[in-house]
Amino acid sequence: MSESRRKPPAPAAFSPEDMARRRRRSIALALVLGGLVVFFFVVTLVKTGPAILNRPL
Amino acid sequence: MSAAFDTRDNGVALTSTGEARDFFALLKPRVMSLVVFTALAGMATAPGSVHPVIGLASLLAIAVGAGASGCLNMWYDADIDVLMSRTAKRPIPAGRVLPSEALSFGLTLSVGSVLVLGLVANLLAAALLAFTIFFYAVVYSMWLKRSTPQNIVIGGAAGAFPPMIGEAVVTGDLGWHSIVLFAIIFMWTPPHFWALALVKSADYARAGIPMMPNVAGPASTRRQIVLYSLVMAPVAVLPALMGFGGLAYLVVSVTTGLAMIALAIRVWRTTEGPAATKACYSLFGFSIFYLFGLFAVLLVENGLGLMWALPKVIG
Repeated sequence: MSESRRKPPAPAAFSPEDMARRRRRSIALALVLGGLVVFFFVVTLVKTGPAILNRPL
Repeated sequence: MSAAFDTRDNGVALTSTGEARDFFALLKPRVMSLVVFTALAGMATAPGSVHPVIGLASLLAIAVGAGASGCLNMWYDADIDVLMSRTAKRPIPAGRVLPSEALSFGLTLSVGSVLVLGLVANLLAAALLAFTIFFYAVVYSMWLKRSTPQNIVIGGAAGAFPPMIGEAVVTGDLGWHSIVLFAIIFMWTPPHFWALALVKSADYARAGIPMMPNVAGPASTRRQIVLYSLVMAPVAVLPALMGFGGLAYLVVSVTTGLAMIALAIRVWRTTEGPAATKACYSLFGFSIFYLFGLFAVLLVENGLGLMWALPKVIG
Protein backbone atom coordinates (compact mmCIF):
# COMPACT_ATOMS: atom_id res chain seq x y z
CA MET A 1 0.00 0.00 0.00
CA SER A 2 1.44 3.38 -0.96
CA GLU A 3 1.98 6.24 1.46
CA SER A 4 -0.87 8.29 0.04
CA ARG A 5 -3.31 5.36 0.50
CA ARG A 6 -2.64 5.18 4.20
CA LYS A 7 -3.62 8.81 4.82
CA PRO A 8 -7.10 9.39 6.14
CA PRO A 9 -9.34 11.18 3.66
CA ALA A 10 -9.19 14.92 3.90
CA PRO A 11 -12.46 16.72 4.43
CA ALA A 12 -13.69 18.38 1.29
CA ALA A 13 -12.96 22.07 1.11
CA PHE A 14 -16.09 24.02 1.85
CA SER A 15 -17.10 26.69 -0.59
CA PRO A 16 -18.76 29.83 0.79
CA GLU A 17 -22.10 28.41 -0.43
CA ASP A 18 -21.48 25.16 1.46
CA MET A 19 -20.62 27.09 4.61
CA ALA A 20 -23.78 29.18 4.28
CA ARG A 21 -25.85 26.03 3.85
CA ARG A 22 -24.28 24.37 6.87
CA ARG A 23 -24.84 27.52 8.91
CA ARG A 24 -28.53 27.63 7.94
CA ARG A 25 -28.84 23.96 8.87
CA SER A 26 -27.19 24.54 12.25
CA ILE A 27 -29.51 27.46 12.99
CA ALA A 28 -32.56 25.35 12.09
CA LEU A 29 -31.32 22.57 14.37
CA ALA A 30 -30.77 25.04 17.22
CA LEU A 31 -34.31 26.36 16.78
CA VAL A 32 -35.75 22.84 16.85
CA LEU A 33 -33.80 21.99 20.02
CA GLY A 34 -34.92 25.22 21.66
CA GLY A 35 -38.51 24.46 20.66
CA LEU A 36 -38.21 21.00 22.21
CA VAL A 37 -37.05 22.52 25.52
CA VAL A 38 -40.11 24.79 25.59
CA PHE A 39 -42.34 21.87 24.51
CA PHE A 40 -41.19 19.58 27.33
CA PHE A 41 -41.39 22.41 29.87
CA VAL A 42 -44.98 23.30 28.96
CA VAL A 43 -46.13 19.68 28.75
CA THR A 44 -44.54 18.94 32.14
CA LEU A 45 -46.37 21.88 33.69
CA VAL A 46 -49.70 20.74 32.22
CA LYS A 47 -49.19 17.05 33.10
CA THR A 48 -48.13 17.80 36.66
CA GLY A 49 -50.73 20.52 37.18
CA PRO A 50 -50.98 22.53 40.41
CA ALA A 51 -49.10 19.75 42.21
CA ILE A 52 -45.89 21.11 40.70
CA LEU A 53 -45.88 23.74 43.49
CA ASN A 54 -46.73 21.20 46.20
CA ARG A 55 -43.33 19.78 47.09
CA PRO A 56 -41.13 19.81 50.20
CA LEU A 57 -38.52 22.53 50.23
CA MET B 1 -27.32 13.96 11.84
CA SER B 2 -24.68 11.48 10.88
CA ALA B 3 -21.21 12.40 9.82
CA ALA B 4 -21.45 12.82 6.12
CA PHE B 5 -18.08 11.68 4.93
CA ASP B 6 -17.60 9.27 2.14
CA THR B 7 -14.37 8.18 0.53
CA ARG B 8 -15.71 6.88 -2.78
CA ASP B 9 -14.39 9.84 -4.75
CA ASN B 10 -10.70 8.84 -4.81
CA GLY B 11 -10.21 9.44 -1.13
CA VAL B 12 -11.66 12.94 -1.22
CA ALA B 13 -14.27 13.32 1.45
CA LEU B 14 -17.77 14.21 0.32
CA THR B 15 -20.03 16.23 2.51
CA SER B 16 -23.77 16.41 2.61
CA THR B 17 -25.17 19.64 1.25
CA GLY B 18 -28.63 19.04 2.69
CA GLU B 19 -30.41 22.03 4.11
CA ALA B 20 -33.15 22.14 6.72
CA ARG B 21 -35.78 22.28 3.97
CA ASP B 22 -34.40 19.06 2.45
CA PHE B 23 -34.81 17.28 5.76
CA PHE B 24 -38.28 18.77 6.07
CA ALA B 25 -39.07 17.45 2.57
CA LEU B 26 -38.02 13.96 3.76
CA LEU B 27 -40.99 14.10 6.15
CA LYS B 28 -43.46 14.31 3.24
CA PRO B 29 -45.15 17.46 4.57
CA ARG B 30 -48.30 17.08 2.46
CA VAL B 31 -48.92 13.54 3.72
CA MET B 32 -48.07 14.75 7.21
CA SER B 33 -50.70 17.51 7.03
CA LEU B 34 -53.36 15.00 5.98
CA VAL B 35 -52.33 12.73 8.87
CA VAL B 36 -52.58 15.61 11.35
CA PHE B 37 -55.96 16.56 9.92
CA THR B 38 -57.44 13.06 10.16
CA ALA B 39 -55.93 12.48 13.62
CA LEU B 40 -57.51 15.75 14.75
CA ALA B 41 -60.86 14.57 13.38
CA GLY B 42 -60.39 11.33 15.35
CA MET B 43 -59.79 13.39 18.49
CA ALA B 44 -62.78 15.66 17.82
CA THR B 45 -65.24 12.81 17.20
CA ALA B 46 -64.02 10.76 20.18
CA PRO B 47 -66.41 10.56 23.11
CA GLY B 48 -64.55 12.65 25.69
CA SER B 49 -62.13 15.55 25.86
CA VAL B 50 -58.45 16.23 26.36
CA HIS B 51 -56.48 19.22 27.66
CA PRO B 52 -55.72 21.46 24.66
CA VAL B 53 -51.96 21.45 25.35
CA ILE B 54 -51.91 17.67 25.64
CA GLY B 55 -53.98 17.42 22.45
CA LEU B 56 -51.62 19.76 20.61
CA ALA B 57 -48.52 17.98 21.90
CA SER B 58 -50.01 14.63 20.88
CA LEU B 59 -50.78 15.95 17.40
CA LEU B 60 -47.19 17.13 17.09
CA ALA B 61 -45.93 13.68 18.08
CA ILE B 62 -48.29 12.03 15.58
CA ALA B 63 -47.14 14.44 12.85
CA VAL B 64 -43.47 13.74 13.56
CA GLY B 65 -44.15 9.98 13.64
CA ALA B 66 -45.90 10.20 10.26
CA GLY B 67 -43.02 12.26 8.92
CA ALA B 68 -40.52 9.74 10.25
CA SER B 69 -42.26 6.91 8.41
CA GLY B 70 -42.22 9.02 5.23
CA CYS B 71 -38.50 9.61 5.72
CA LEU B 72 -37.81 5.88 6.14
CA ASN B 73 -39.92 5.24 3.03
CA MET B 74 -37.80 7.70 1.03
CA TRP B 75 -34.61 6.15 2.37
CA TYR B 76 -35.69 2.66 1.29
CA ASP B 77 -37.17 3.75 -2.04
CA ALA B 78 -34.30 6.00 -3.17
CA ASP B 79 -33.25 3.43 -5.79
CA ILE B 80 -36.63 3.50 -7.52
CA ASP B 81 -37.42 7.15 -6.82
CA VAL B 82 -34.54 8.12 -9.10
CA LEU B 83 -36.27 6.29 -11.98
CA MET B 84 -39.62 8.05 -11.74
CA SER B 85 -40.32 11.62 -12.89
CA ARG B 86 -42.66 12.24 -9.95
CA THR B 87 -40.02 11.34 -7.34
CA ALA B 88 -36.62 11.96 -8.98
CA LYS B 89 -36.28 15.40 -7.38
CA ARG B 90 -36.66 14.10 -3.83
CA PRO B 91 -33.69 14.94 -1.55
CA ILE B 92 -31.97 11.53 -1.68
CA PRO B 93 -32.20 10.74 -5.43
CA ALA B 94 -31.31 14.37 -6.15
CA GLY B 95 -28.14 13.91 -4.06
CA ARG B 96 -28.84 16.62 -1.50
CA VAL B 97 -29.17 14.23 1.46
CA LEU B 98 -27.11 11.08 1.99
CA PRO B 99 -29.05 7.83 2.54
CA SER B 100 -27.29 7.31 5.88
CA GLU B 101 -28.43 10.74 7.04
CA ALA B 102 -32.02 10.02 6.04
CA LEU B 103 -31.96 6.65 7.82
CA SER B 104 -30.64 8.07 11.09
CA PHE B 105 -33.01 11.03 10.83
CA GLY B 106 -36.02 8.74 10.27
CA LEU B 107 -35.10 6.30 13.03
CA THR B 108 -34.43 9.07 15.55
CA LEU B 109 -37.74 10.77 14.84
CA SER B 110 -39.59 7.42 14.94
CA VAL B 111 -38.30 6.52 18.39
CA GLY B 112 -38.66 10.08 19.67
CA SER B 113 -42.25 10.55 18.48
CA VAL B 114 -43.42 7.25 19.98
CA LEU B 115 -41.72 7.97 23.32
CA VAL B 116 -43.17 11.48 23.47
CA LEU B 117 -46.69 10.30 22.61
CA GLY B 118 -46.42 7.60 25.29
CA LEU B 119 -45.36 10.17 27.89
CA VAL B 120 -47.75 12.91 26.83
CA ALA B 121 -50.86 10.84 26.06
CA ASN B 122 -50.94 7.12 26.84
CA LEU B 123 -49.38 3.79 25.94
CA LEU B 124 -52.18 2.70 23.57
CA ALA B 125 -51.76 5.82 21.43
CA ALA B 126 -47.97 5.33 21.42
CA ALA B 127 -48.31 1.65 20.50
CA LEU B 128 -50.67 2.53 17.63
CA LEU B 129 -48.23 5.17 16.36
CA ALA B 130 -45.35 2.70 16.56
CA PHE B 131 -47.42 0.12 14.65
CA THR B 132 -48.35 2.72 12.01
CA ILE B 133 -44.70 3.64 11.45
CA PHE B 134 -43.75 -0.04 11.27
CA PHE B 135 -46.63 -0.81 8.91
CA TYR B 136 -45.75 2.02 6.51
CA ALA B 137 -41.96 1.72 6.60
CA VAL B 138 -41.59 -2.07 6.76
CA VAL B 139 -44.83 -3.82 5.72
CA TYR B 140 -45.71 -1.38 2.91
CA SER B 141 -42.40 0.11 1.76
CA MET B 142 -40.10 -2.89 2.17
CA TRP B 143 -42.51 -5.69 1.39
CA LEU B 144 -45.87 -4.97 -0.25
CA LYS B 145 -44.91 -2.11 -2.55
CA ARG B 146 -42.55 -4.15 -4.71
CA SER B 147 -44.28 -7.52 -4.45
CA THR B 148 -48.04 -7.26 -5.03
CA PRO B 149 -50.55 -5.13 -6.94
CA GLN B 150 -52.56 -5.03 -3.70
CA ASN B 151 -49.72 -2.89 -2.26
CA ILE B 152 -51.69 0.30 -1.79
CA VAL B 153 -54.86 -1.55 -0.76
CA ILE B 154 -53.24 -3.23 2.25
CA GLY B 155 -50.69 -0.46 2.72
CA GLY B 156 -53.54 2.04 2.80
CA ALA B 157 -54.17 0.90 6.36
CA ALA B 158 -51.10 2.89 7.42
CA GLY B 159 -52.75 6.08 6.20
CA ALA B 160 -56.03 5.11 7.85
CA PHE B 161 -54.68 4.63 11.39
CA PRO B 162 -54.31 8.32 12.45
CA PRO B 163 -57.99 8.81 13.46
CA MET B 164 -57.65 5.74 15.70
CA ILE B 165 -54.51 7.22 17.27
CA GLY B 166 -56.46 10.45 17.77
CA GLU B 167 -59.29 8.66 19.55
CA ALA B 168 -56.81 6.69 21.66
CA VAL B 169 -55.20 9.98 22.77
CA VAL B 170 -58.56 11.24 24.05
CA THR B 171 -60.12 8.09 25.50
CA GLY B 172 -57.22 5.69 26.02
CA ASP B 173 -59.38 3.21 24.15
CA LEU B 174 -60.67 2.41 20.65
CA GLY B 175 -64.30 2.84 19.67
CA TRP B 176 -66.56 2.57 16.63
CA HIS B 177 -66.15 6.23 15.69
CA SER B 178 -62.51 5.93 14.76
CA ILE B 179 -63.01 2.49 13.24
CA VAL B 180 -65.54 4.03 10.81
CA LEU B 181 -63.09 6.85 10.02
CA PHE B 182 -60.42 4.19 9.43
CA ALA B 183 -62.78 2.40 7.01
CA ILE B 184 -63.48 5.59 5.06
CA ILE B 185 -59.77 6.30 4.48
CA PHE B 186 -59.06 2.63 3.78
CA MET B 187 -61.75 2.41 1.07
CA TRP B 188 -60.76 5.83 -0.33
CA THR B 189 -57.11 4.91 -0.88
CA PRO B 190 -57.44 2.56 -3.91
CA PRO B 191 -59.52 4.87 -6.14
CA HIS B 192 -57.27 7.79 -5.15
CA PHE B 193 -53.97 6.07 -5.92
CA TRP B 194 -55.07 4.01 -8.90
CA ALA B 195 -56.37 7.14 -10.66
CA LEU B 196 -52.78 8.44 -10.51
CA ALA B 197 -51.26 5.02 -11.25
CA LEU B 198 -53.27 4.81 -14.51
CA VAL B 199 -51.58 7.99 -15.71
CA LYS B 200 -48.13 7.17 -14.34
CA SER B 201 -48.09 3.48 -15.27
CA ALA B 202 -45.00 3.94 -17.51
CA ASP B 203 -43.11 5.40 -14.54
CA TYR B 204 -44.09 2.48 -12.32
CA ALA B 205 -43.18 -0.01 -15.04
CA ARG B 206 -39.72 1.56 -15.39
CA ALA B 207 -39.21 1.28 -11.63
CA GLY B 208 -40.57 -2.29 -11.57
CA ILE B 209 -43.36 -1.56 -9.12
CA PRO B 210 -46.33 -3.90 -9.63
CA MET B 211 -49.11 -1.32 -9.49
CA MET B 212 -52.57 -2.55 -10.42
CA PRO B 213 -52.64 -0.99 -13.96
CA ASN B 214 -49.28 -2.65 -14.76
CA VAL B 215 -50.28 -6.08 -13.47
CA ALA B 216 -54.05 -6.46 -13.99
CA GLY B 217 -54.26 -3.93 -16.82
CA PRO B 218 -56.00 -0.56 -17.14
CA ALA B 219 -59.47 -2.06 -17.80
CA SER B 220 -59.47 -4.13 -14.61
CA THR B 221 -58.08 -1.20 -12.61
CA ARG B 222 -60.84 1.06 -13.91
CA ARG B 223 -63.48 -1.50 -12.88
CA GLN B 224 -61.98 -1.80 -9.42
CA ILE B 225 -61.89 1.99 -9.02
CA VAL B 226 -65.66 2.02 -9.62
CA LEU B 227 -66.25 -0.89 -7.22
CA TYR B 228 -64.22 0.66 -4.40
CA SER B 229 -65.97 4.01 -4.95
CA LEU B 230 -69.37 2.29 -4.76
CA VAL B 231 -68.43 0.78 -1.39
CA MET B 232 -66.62 3.88 -0.09
CA ALA B 233 -69.43 6.38 -0.66
CA PRO B 234 -71.99 4.61 1.62
CA VAL B 235 -69.32 3.91 4.26
CA ALA B 236 -68.58 7.65 4.28
CA VAL B 237 -72.23 8.36 5.21
CA LEU B 238 -72.03 6.16 8.34
CA PRO B 239 -70.92 8.97 10.73
CA ALA B 240 -74.26 10.71 10.05
CA LEU B 241 -76.17 7.50 10.77
CA MET B 242 -74.14 6.83 13.94
CA GLY B 243 -74.73 10.26 15.43
CA PHE B 244 -71.27 11.80 15.23
CA GLY B 245 -71.96 13.52 11.91
CA GLY B 246 -74.80 16.02 11.67
CA LEU B 247 -77.01 17.34 8.89
CA ALA B 248 -74.18 19.22 7.18
CA TYR B 249 -72.09 16.04 7.18
CA LEU B 250 -74.99 14.05 5.73
CA VAL B 251 -75.43 16.52 2.87
CA VAL B 252 -71.71 16.82 2.13
CA SER B 253 -71.00 13.08 2.33
CA VAL B 254 -73.94 12.16 0.07
CA THR B 255 -73.32 14.83 -2.59
CA THR B 256 -69.53 14.48 -2.76
CA GLY B 257 -69.85 10.69 -2.56
CA LEU B 258 -72.11 10.74 -5.62
CA ALA B 259 -69.59 13.02 -7.36
CA MET B 260 -66.79 10.53 -6.56
CA ILE B 261 -68.86 7.71 -8.06
CA ALA B 262 -69.64 9.80 -11.16
CA LEU B 263 -65.94 10.65 -11.66
CA ALA B 264 -64.99 6.99 -11.13
CA ILE B 265 -67.52 5.97 -13.79
CA ARG B 266 -66.04 8.57 -16.14
CA VAL B 267 -62.59 7.02 -15.58
CA TRP B 268 -64.10 3.60 -16.33
CA ARG B 269 -65.81 4.72 -19.56
CA THR B 270 -63.14 7.08 -20.92
CA THR B 271 -60.23 4.86 -21.82
CA GLU B 272 -58.40 6.56 -24.69
CA GLY B 273 -56.42 9.72 -25.33
CA PRO B 274 -56.14 13.00 -23.43
CA ALA B 275 -59.75 12.69 -22.21
CA ALA B 276 -58.82 9.51 -20.31
CA THR B 277 -55.84 11.25 -18.69
CA LYS B 278 -58.03 14.21 -17.79
CA ALA B 279 -60.64 11.90 -16.25
CA CYS B 280 -57.97 10.26 -14.08
CA TYR B 281 -56.56 13.58 -12.92
CA SER B 282 -60.07 14.83 -12.18
CA LEU B 283 -60.78 11.82 -9.97
CA PHE B 284 -57.37 12.07 -8.29
CA GLY B 285 -57.80 15.79 -7.56
CA PHE B 286 -61.40 15.51 -6.44
CA SER B 287 -60.62 12.56 -4.17
CA ILE B 288 -58.28 14.79 -2.12
CA PHE B 289 -60.98 17.45 -1.87
CA TYR B 290 -63.54 14.76 -0.96
CA LEU B 291 -61.59 13.32 1.97
CA PHE B 292 -60.57 16.77 3.16
CA GLY B 293 -64.19 17.94 2.95
CA LEU B 294 -65.58 15.00 4.94
CA PHE B 295 -63.09 15.40 7.78
CA ALA B 296 -63.38 19.21 7.75
CA VAL B 297 -67.16 18.99 8.28
CA LEU B 298 -66.68 16.44 11.07
CA LEU B 299 -64.15 18.79 12.69
CA VAL B 300 -66.44 21.81 12.48
CA GLU B 301 -69.45 19.87 13.75
CA ASN B 302 -67.70 18.09 16.62
CA GLY B 303 -64.78 20.39 17.39
CA LEU B 304 -66.70 23.67 17.27
CA GLY B 305 -70.01 22.21 18.41
CA LEU B 306 -71.82 23.45 15.29
CA MET B 307 -73.82 20.29 14.72
CA TRP B 308 -77.43 20.03 13.63
CA ALA B 309 -77.85 16.60 15.20
CA LEU B 310 -79.69 13.83 13.40
CA PRO B 311 -81.47 10.86 14.97
CA LYS B 312 -79.06 7.99 15.53
CA VAL B 313 -79.86 5.12 13.14
CA ILE B 314 -76.92 2.80 13.92
CA GLY B 315 -75.11 2.14 17.20
